[in-house]
Amino acid sequence: MTGPFDSTVMWLTWRQLFAKRRLYLSAAFALAPVVISLVFRFSSNDLANASVPFLTSLLREIVVGTLLPIAALVFGTTAFGGEIDDGTLVYLLVKPLARWRVVLTKYVVATACTLAVMIPAIVLPWLVVRNPDLPWQFTLAFLAGATVGAVVYCAIFVALGLTTRRALVIGLIYVIGLEIVWSRLISGIKSLSVREFAVAVTKQVGNGAVQISDAVVKMSTVWTMGSILLVAAILIAIRSLSRYEIAERL
Amino acid sequence: MTATLMKEESSPVAPAPEPAARIVLRNASRWYGNVVAVNDVSCALGPGITGVLGPNGAGKSTVLNMMAGLLSPSAGEVLVNGAPTAGRPEVYKTLALVPEREAVHSFLTGFEFVRMSARLQNLADVDGATKRAVALVEMEAAQNRPVGTYSKGMRQRIKIAGAMVHQPDILLLDEPFNGMDPRQRLQMMDVMRRLAAEGKTIVISSHILEELNDLATNVLVMVSGRLAASGHFREIRRLMTDRPHTFTIRSSNDRLLAAALLADPSVFGVELTPAGIVLRTADRGALTRHLPGTARTANVRLLEIRPTDESLESVFSYLVER
Repeated sequence: MTGPFDSTVMWLTWRQLFAKRRLYLSAAFALAPVVISLVFRFSSNDLANASVPFLTSLLREIVVGTLLPIAALVFGTTAFGGEIDDGTLVYLLVKPLARWRVVLTKYVVATACTLAVMIPAIVLPWLVVRNPDLPWQFTLAFLAGATVGAVVYCAIFVALGLTTRRALVIGLIYVIGLEIVWSRLISGIKSLSVREFAVAVTKQVGNGAVQISDAVVKMSTVWTMGSILLVAAILIAIRSLSRYEIAERL
Repeated sequence: MTATLMKEESSPVAPAPEPAARIVLRNASRWYGNVVAVNDVSCALGPGITGVLGPNGAGKSTVLNMMAGLLSPSAGEVLVNGAPTAGRPEVYKTLALVPEREAVHSFLTGFEFVRMSARLQNLADVDGATKRAVALVEMEAAQNRPVGTYSKGMRQRIKIAGAMVHQPDILLLDEPFNGMDPRQRLQMMDVMRRLAAEGKTIVISSHILEELNDLATNVLVMVSGRLAASGHFREIRRLMTDRPHTFTIRSSNDRLLAAALLADPSVFGVELTPAGIVLRTADRGALTRHLPGTARTANVRLLEIRPTDESLESVFSYLVER
C-alpha cells in the first residue's frame, strides 16, 4: 500500500470518532445553530432587515468562533487520546505501518469529522433564514473560513492529544484563553489566532457578501502563520508518535 | 538447556547467540526515571515455547515490550532476527504481540477486529485469513458481536486471533491466559504447542507456574527486574518445589504433636508459638503424607494446616537468594 494515508486506519478512526456518544454530541453541535435560527425566524418582527446581521453574527461568533474550535478539539484530541488512554493504540503500533502515516491519516479523518459537523452547522441556518440579501457566496465564504480553521485547529489538537494526557483541558484553556479572550484584548495575538484566520478567509472569500466591519488579519499573515502552525503541529505529532513507548504500569 | 541461577549481585554474562536464536537480549536494561524495571537481562530464544515467569512488577511486560519494539532498552540491546526492533515497522510482518491489557476496540465486532489486523498486514486473502484466525481460537459463534460485550476470556482469544492472523514466526503473549476458563486454556495451550511444533518462536509471560506446566520448554524467571533463573521448565519447577516450606499447624495438643513431628525425617525445624506449631520441611509431599499418621499415633486432633510462605514473591525470592 502506498500514499500518505492508510484506508484501514481511516476506517478505524472514523468508527472511533463517531462512536455512539460522540455521534450524539456531534449532532448536537451541528443542530444547535439550526435551532437558534428557527427561534429567530419564528420570533423576529423584522426578518428582512435583521436576517443578515443575525446570520453573520451567528456564523462568526457561535459557529466559527466557538463550535469550530470545540469540535476540532474533541475530534483532534480523541484521534489518539482515546486509544492512548484505553491502551488500544498498541494494535496499530505493532503493525507494518509507518507511524507518520498513522498520524497523517488520523489527522485527515479528524479534520473531515470536524467539517462534517461544520457543514450542516453553516448551511442549515442559511437555509432556515434564507433571503435575497444572503447569496450563496455568503455560505461559501463561511465554509471556506471553517475549512481553513478546521485544517489548522485539528493539526494543533492532534499534536496536543499525542503530547499530553490532559489534552482536552489544555485545549479548552487554549481555545477560551488565547482564541476567545486574549485575541480580542491584544491585537498582536490575532496573528496567532486560528479563529481570526478563519474570519479573515471568510471575509476574503465572501468578497462583499459577508459584512465584517472590524479589522481582520492580513491574508499574507493567515497563509504564513497558518502554514507554520500546521506544519509545526504535524511534525510534533509525528515526532511524538515515533517516540511513543508503551510503559509498564509500575 | 540446564537451569541456571543468577545471583543478585552478579551480572549475567551475555550468552553467545544460539545458531537458531530469533530473539536476543544482550545486557538489556530499562528504567523509568529512578525506577529500574529491567536490569541487565541477557538471553537468546529460538523456536519453541519460552515462558517468562515472575511475580507482578517483576519486569515481564517490559521485557516483552522491548522484544516487540514498543520500548527501547535504556542500556544493552534487543535484537529480533539479528536487528533492533524499535523503529522498524517491517518487523511486524514476522512478529506479533498480544498485550496484557484486555482493552480491544469495543465498538468493533470480533470479526472486524481480526479483519482489521489482516488488512493492516496487507494480506492477499483478508477474509480467508480472518476466518482461519477466528476459527483457530474457536470464536466463530461470537464473531459478529461487539467486542464490548465479550467476557475477559473471549477478549483474550480474539486478541490472540488478531495477532495470529498473518501467521507470524514470533509470537509474544503477555499473560494470555488471564480470564480464560480451564477448557479455553487447554484449547489455547494446544494451539501454542501446535505452532511451536511448526517451528514458531513463542514467548509467554505468566505469574503462575502451573500455566506453563507442560507448555513451555524453557523458562526465564524474573524477580525485581533481574533474570533470577533460566533453563528447562522441569529444572525450574524442581528448584521451586524442593525449596524449604513453612507451615503453621494448630491441633488439640500442639506440644505433643511438635514432639512427635521432630521424629519425622522430612521435618527440620519445629517451633511452638501462640499461633500454633511453626514447622519447616524440605519435602512438602512427604510431610503431607506423614502428618495425619503422626497425629493419629500421638492421639492429637489436627485443627488447621496453613502454608505460611507460599506467596509468589517468597518463592521467587528463594530462587534469587540461593
